[in-house]
Formats: sequence, structure tokens, C-alpha cells
Amino acid sequence: MKWVTWEQVGVDRMACAWLITKYLDHEAEFLFVPAGQKPLPEGVEPFDIPGVRLSHHRGHCTFYTMLREYDLRDPVLQRIARVVDEADTVQDVMLEPAAAGLDVICQGIRLVSTDDRVALERGRLVYEALYAQFASEPTQA
Amino acid sequence: MEQPPEAPWVLLVYKIPREPTASRAAVWRKLKRLGALLLHDAVWVLPATPWTREQFQWLAVEIGELGGEAHLWESHLLLNGQADALVQQFQSRVDAAYQEILDELEQEDVDLVALSRKYQQVRAQDYFHSALGTHVRERLMSARGGFAS
Repeated sequence: MKWVTWEQVGVDRMACAWLITKYLDHEAEFLFVPAGQKPLPEGVEPFDIPGVRLSHHRGHCTFYTMLREYDLRDPVLQRIARVVDEADTVQDVMLEPAAAGLDVICQGIRLVSTDDRVALERGRLVYEALYAQFASEPTQA
Repeated sequence: MEQPPEAPWVLLVYKIPREPTASRAAVWRKLKRLGALLLHDAVWVLPATPWTREQFQWLAVEIGELGGEAHLWESHLLLNGQADALVQQFQSRVDAAYQEILDELEQEDVDLVALSRKYQQVRAQDYFHSALGTHVRERLMSARGGFAS
């Protein structure tokens, strides 16, 4: 299946791509279009683009929306969603100190990557690491 | 700091139902947290960066989900000097917040944890890199005591 998002991926889209490839679609292929470009290509699932199904809803990030839409209830994923929420959206309550750092690291990954595809690829390691670390701690969704 | 006259701004205009007040307040708080400036009680303004564009886009979607309506533009100022004046407004607000931190640092029994958190919040809104921010950072560093860095 093909998935499309805007160019210049960051913390939320790297998280989503990791989730898609790992849990939803092992053969996922990602396409990138310039921010704001319309119409979107036909027959591909858009994510993290304002107004589409898989995007921010009710103040939550796209990663959070994806967990809800695909009914993924792993508490470790829920905690990652909290971190991405705090990294990518304006939140009154900040509970995850990793959020700010994760945001900067993901931005930096994009800077050292030749294109968005490479950036998503590298971002995977970051989320694998985050998952492993959170899984080793007592559960806190 | 001077803003090049051609530098773009993002503008948000929105309307949201009076009730529930919690939704209205949540949107208001987000605009405040983003450090957006409300011009003439009508238009919310931020300097356009990839980050502010994205944050305003998401906020516009959220306002729609809350039963409201939002319009979002990116634009340039056409009158000479207005860009600088606008930057000044952003700057003076951020500087006032930095000054509060400096004043609190003069107090006895200062809560450095709370102040450094406040500094981080102000810095997130410091779109034009106020020199006072650098000063606050240095003061916080030296206020922590212990070994000199």
C-alpha cells in the first residue's frame, strides 16, 4: 500500500511511518508532496496532512489519531503518543521530558538526511529505541 | 532586531461558538502559548516559519472540529516600517516576560526550577531572538551555584 504525506518530515510523521511499517503495513511505500499541494495523488492513504482522516484531531497529534483509528492499545504505544503530542502540539500539561528532545532530534535527522525517505528510515531507530526503553519501565500511558 | 520587509507573516481569523466556554478558552490558551499577537482584537499574527505555519494549520482544523470557523493566510506587509513595528511588539512582550524572570532572580529563596521552566516557555515564543533572553540564560546558569562551569 502507498502512503502520502507532506515533505520535510518531523517528529510526528517519523513516528507514524514507524508505526505503519511495524504494525499496519510491512510493505508500506511512502510518497512525499510539497506542503499544501492539492489534489493529493489518487489511491494512496494520506497522513499528517490537515483535514485528512489520519491527522491531528481534537488537539492530538497524528500518531495519537492512528492508534485510535487502528485500535492499537499497547500501553507503550500510548505513552509514545503522549510524548509525540507534547513534542508536536501545544499542550498545557507537560508530563514527558523526552518530548522536547525528541522533537529536536527528529528535526536534526531530517537535516542530516538527503531526503524524506532516508529521514523516515533513520527515524525508525529512534522510535525502536524509545519503545524498548519505555517497555522496560513501569507502565505509564 | 530587524525583520526584512519581505518576510512573511501568518494570519489567523476565527470565530467559535460562545458555548462551551472550555473550548473557547482552550483555543485562546493555545494562541497565547504560541506567542501569537492579537491585532486590533481581530487578527492573530505570527512570523511565518514552517513550525508556526503548521501550528496555525492544526489550530484552524481544531477550531473547525469545535464547531467554529477559521481562515488562515500567509501575507506580507506593504507599508514601510510596519514590519519593524510589528517585530517591536513581539519583542517588547517577550522582553517583559524575560524581565520578570530577572526580577524574580533578585528575590531571596528563588525557585530556580520554576524559573528555568518559565524561561523555556518564554524562549519558545521568542521568535526574534531577544538579547535579553541570552542574558536571562546566563543569569540562570550562574544562579544555580555549585561548581562554576
